Amino acid sequence: MLRTKELTKTVNSQGQGLTILSDVSLTVNEQDTVAIVGVSGSGKSTLLSLLAGLDLPTSGEVHLAQEPLHQLDEDQRAAVRAQHVGFVFQSFHLLPGLSALENVMLPIELKEQNRAKERATELLEKVGLIERLHHYPNQLSGGEQQRVAIARAFASEPKILFADEPTGNLDSENGDKISDLLFDLNKQLGTTLVLVTHDNRLAERCQRIVRLEGGKVVADEASNAALDKTAEL
Amino acid sequence: MLRMAFRTFRRDWNAGEVKVLLFALTIAVMAMVAIGSITDRVHRAMGEQSSEFLGADYTFESPRPVESEWIERGLSDGLDITRSQSFATVLSSGDNFQLVSVRALGGKFPLKGTIEIAEKPFTQGVVQQAQPKAGTIWLEPRILGVLGVEVGDKVDFGSIQLTVDGVIVAAPGQASEVFNIAPKVLINQEDVAKANIVQEGSRLSYTLFIAGEPAVREPYIQWLKEQKNSTQRITGGKEGTPALKAALERAETFLRLASLISVVLAGVAIAVAAGRYSQRHFDYSAIYRCLGMQIRQVHKLYLWQLLMIGVIGSGLGLALGLGLQSLVINQFSDVLPKPMVGISLTPVVTGSLSGLVVLLGFALPAFLQIAKVPPLRVLRKELLPRAMSSWIIYLLSIGVMALLMWWQSNSLLLVGILLAVAVVTYLLIRLIAWFIFKIGVWLGKRGSLAVRFGVGQLKQYPAFTISQISAFGLAFIIMLSTVLLRSELLSEWQSQLPDNAPNHFLINVQEQEVEPLESLLKQNNVSTEGIYPMVRGRVVGLNDMTLEEALDENQRRTGAVRRELNLTWTADVPEANEVTKGRWWSETSANDGRTELSVGEELAERLGLELGDVLTFSIGGLEIKGEITNLRSIQWDSFQPNFFIIFEPGTLDDFPASYITSFYLPLEDKKVLNQILKAMPTVTIIELDAIMAQVQSILDQVTMAVEFIMLFVLLAGVAVLYAVLQVSREERLLSATLLKALGARKKFIRASILAELALLGLFSGLLGVIGGEVLVNILYSQAFNIELVLHPWYWLGVPLISVSFIGIVGWLGLRHLLNQPAHQVLREL
Repeated sequence: MLRTKELTKTVNSQGQGLTILSDVSLTVNEQDTVAIVGVSGSGKSTLLSLLAGLDLPTSGEVHLAQEPLHQLDEDQRAAVRAQHVGFVFQSFHLLPGLSALENVMLPIELKEQNRAKERATELLEKVGLIERLHHYPNQLSGGEQQRVAIARAFASEPKILFADEPTGNLDSENGDKISDLLFDLNKQLGTTLVLVTHDNRLAERCQRIVRLEGGKVVADEASNAALDKTAEL
Repeated sequence: MLRMAFRTFRRDWNAGEVKVLLFALTIAVMAMVAIGSITDRVHRAMGEQSSEFLGADYTFESPRPVESEWIERGLSDGLDITRSQSFATVLSSGDNFQLVSVRALGGKFPLKGTIEIAEKPFTQGVVQQAQPKAGTIWLEPRILGVLGVEVGDKVDFGSIQLTVDGVIVAAPGQASEVFNIAPKVLINQEDVAKANIVQEGSRLSYTLFIAGEPAVREPYIQWLKEQKNSTQRITGGKEGTPALKAALERAETFLRLASLISVVLAGVAIAVAAGRYSQRHFDYSAIYRCLGMQIRQVHKLYLWQLLMIGVIGSGLGLALGLGLQSLVINQFSDVLPKPMVGISLTPVVTGSLSGLVVLLGFALPAFLQIAKVPPLRVLRKELLPRAMSSWIIYLLSIGVMALLMWWQSNSLLLVGILLAVAVVTYLLIRLIAWFIFKIGVWLGKRGSLAVRFGVGQLKQYPAFTISQISAFGLAFIIMLSTVLLRSELLSEWQSQLPDNAPNHFLINVQEQEVEPLESLLKQNNVSTEGIYPMVRGRVVGLNDMTLEEALDENQRRTGAVRRELNLTWTADVPEANEVTKGRWWSETSANDGRTELSVGEELAERLGLELGDVLTFSIGGLEIKGEITNLRSIQWDSFQPNFFIIFEPGTLDDFPASYITSFYLPLEDKKVLNQILKAMPTVTIIELDAIMAQVQSILDQVTMAVEFIMLFVLLAGVAVLYAVLQVSREERLLSATLLKALGARKKFIRASILAELALLGLFSGLLGVIGGEVLVNILYSQAFNIELVLHPWYWLGVPLISVSFIGIVGWLGLRHLLNQPAHQVLREL
């Protein structure tokens, strides 16, 4: 599903090259759930943006759903995202001018699929917001906004979902609800999930944890939950 | 504190925080200085030009000699004052006589403008500023023919003889006196006493021509007004001729409105930009407060900021405004009045000071908010300062506008009226804008994704969107009305004055001369507008009472009952007239035995005349009674012969009539006039061509000025657009990157931006065309009595222009969004 080879990102900072990521090679299989963890500045967000084709690597390769992202231009990468990728962001990032329903319809329409409204309504029902279809983001609480964002992420039936600190801006109660929702939907729809987090409890719910330090992968191992599950078998 | 303020300012400058505010303020000051200066210069130059019509800045007319202390006071103030006497007398040469209107000049003439004197009739003359030497006389050309004299010959004037020294080609005062029957002569005042021509009881009019610097002149005129009695009359430069007066007044109203609108628009832009600035500084303020700064100190810090922005913005605006106005004046010198007057300090000072006032009025509320942020905001970001009541903000802004208007107009009543009109108009415009917006949103939901996205952007800040629609709509309303009224005015003028409109009038044509005149004109290929009868008569009674019994003293002073009137008869309502009360005789049964009259409504109002009143006329010693059956409005600036009183045809057949005709004569054919005078020496020729050309040129200048100033209104509208785009900058950046992350291509983002701008343009254009039509139709019905007229092409054109304009300008401000890197969506913006 997702494969990187010696992924390196260098940026110019005050005249000097600053390496944010170096030689990251990863493979994520279909329906895998992977958590990327690490302290601030370890390169988590940069890795996520390269994996999703939001940015281009300085060197190395990224293949997403058989597409060589590192060789595509911006619009081609956008087309790949529209086709295969869903996103959940820390700050929810709902479009403020669109209602909950319209936000969820957006990726379906960008993918030019039919029945956008019906499917968006179904998803909002699944996340428990059927009463709030026509509310605007500023009329929703943080937890509700993130539930809309999750509905939006699954709306286009993506093969892979990227989540950036999905519970980072929520209190623990809401955070738990959101992570339940995320993993439930993920399981139901058989989506591949790559999530970046500080939150160990959230990371533990994934099958695999990739730990970054100073732009390098220092650990890539099955999580305790996964081990527990394996142990049960 | 000052150093900290400087540091903050520099940081904000680098971060682009103050640029929008500065931009809006610069536009405001630039517009105000440029509009103010151009208006002021054009206005003063036009005033100068109309002073030339009058021959002075002011004239003071009195039936008795003017008190010499009054004149001395003016002279000692440093004003130029020329005394003159006017009276009617008879000039003769051999057996030929001519009644003339004499102006005896006691000094330099004219004080403003020039007089053109030629050696031969109907030729080019020499321009000068003087008075005839004692013993000489200047004559209007037609007198030469009547008296059979040429330049150098002598004419009898009372008990002395005067030498004809020149022919008057053009002299000030002509425009207002074109229908004075007696031809005009100019002499030196010394000769009046020598000629022994003025006796006890002679009817004289004494005129002072007054000119000087406004600072000296205006107080003196004001003082004169207090001294004068009701028989004395002051005419200001602008009141030289009715046609000019109307044109100047229209222009002034337009220009005043235009500069006011640009101020309001700039104010909106400043308010929007200041609101954003203040929100961006809530965090700083909270941190300052946490670190121990007092509210007072934070206030001070940000007031310094405001002052720095004010000084820099005003300075920039002033420089640009001055540059622009001189560019404009130079660029359009062809059509602007000549000579152009220099720049004056008042509009420059007013412009830059009002920049500061607008900044304070519209930005202060937002700046005062900054310090009120609770320090707890450092922990809880959602905490905001308690919002200031929007009423206070509105009141402050309206107060500032009132102050500015009062400053410009110096009239509290005018400010009150303008403000009331402005507030009502504004509310109406916002209401329409809101309505259009709602419909647009509703319709937009049915469009493609990009359109819906654009609608979503507009919907996000409805208040801003409606402000923008109102601002641009207003600019388009004004522009549309200017364009429509201009073409209406011009076509009205052109219909009155087509290329070959009559520019010469012949009066005093005798009945037996009508046929020879017609054939003479025909020989020279001159076509007339027809030849009309005219009877001279005096009103002597009203409802079987004498005028002394029927009218009060004030009414009796009305010129129309003091002198002989030109009476005529026509079967149809004359073209520049309209029946306002009663019915024209063609609608009532003819030959019902009554002598029906039609009276001008102004005259009727002055004399208190009603339908059914009976007027008694004395014509050539005979009396005739007539009943008023209708009142007419008369368009006095139409350059057609207009009559206070018109009789039903047939009723004046018993009286000797002279005839009047008019025709068009190009400059090169002026010699025909000599032939006419030779064949019919008693005919009076009135030349209108010069005056008509001058009035036309002033009208052109006025419309030019108004159109140009609309550009500034539009520029101020652009400032509003940019301010609002800046306010929504962060959200737009986020939306653009988010859309990219969700898989949208550049094409989609471009389409959604263009859809948003196009909708904004469409809404503004619709508002512009709706408002424009309403305004124009109100003006039509008020000013021109024209029925409802719609302009279908503009319904297409204005929205199209609006969409293109806002589309292009907005695109320039938003196209950077396309290149926003998608990975920024993962950063906190």
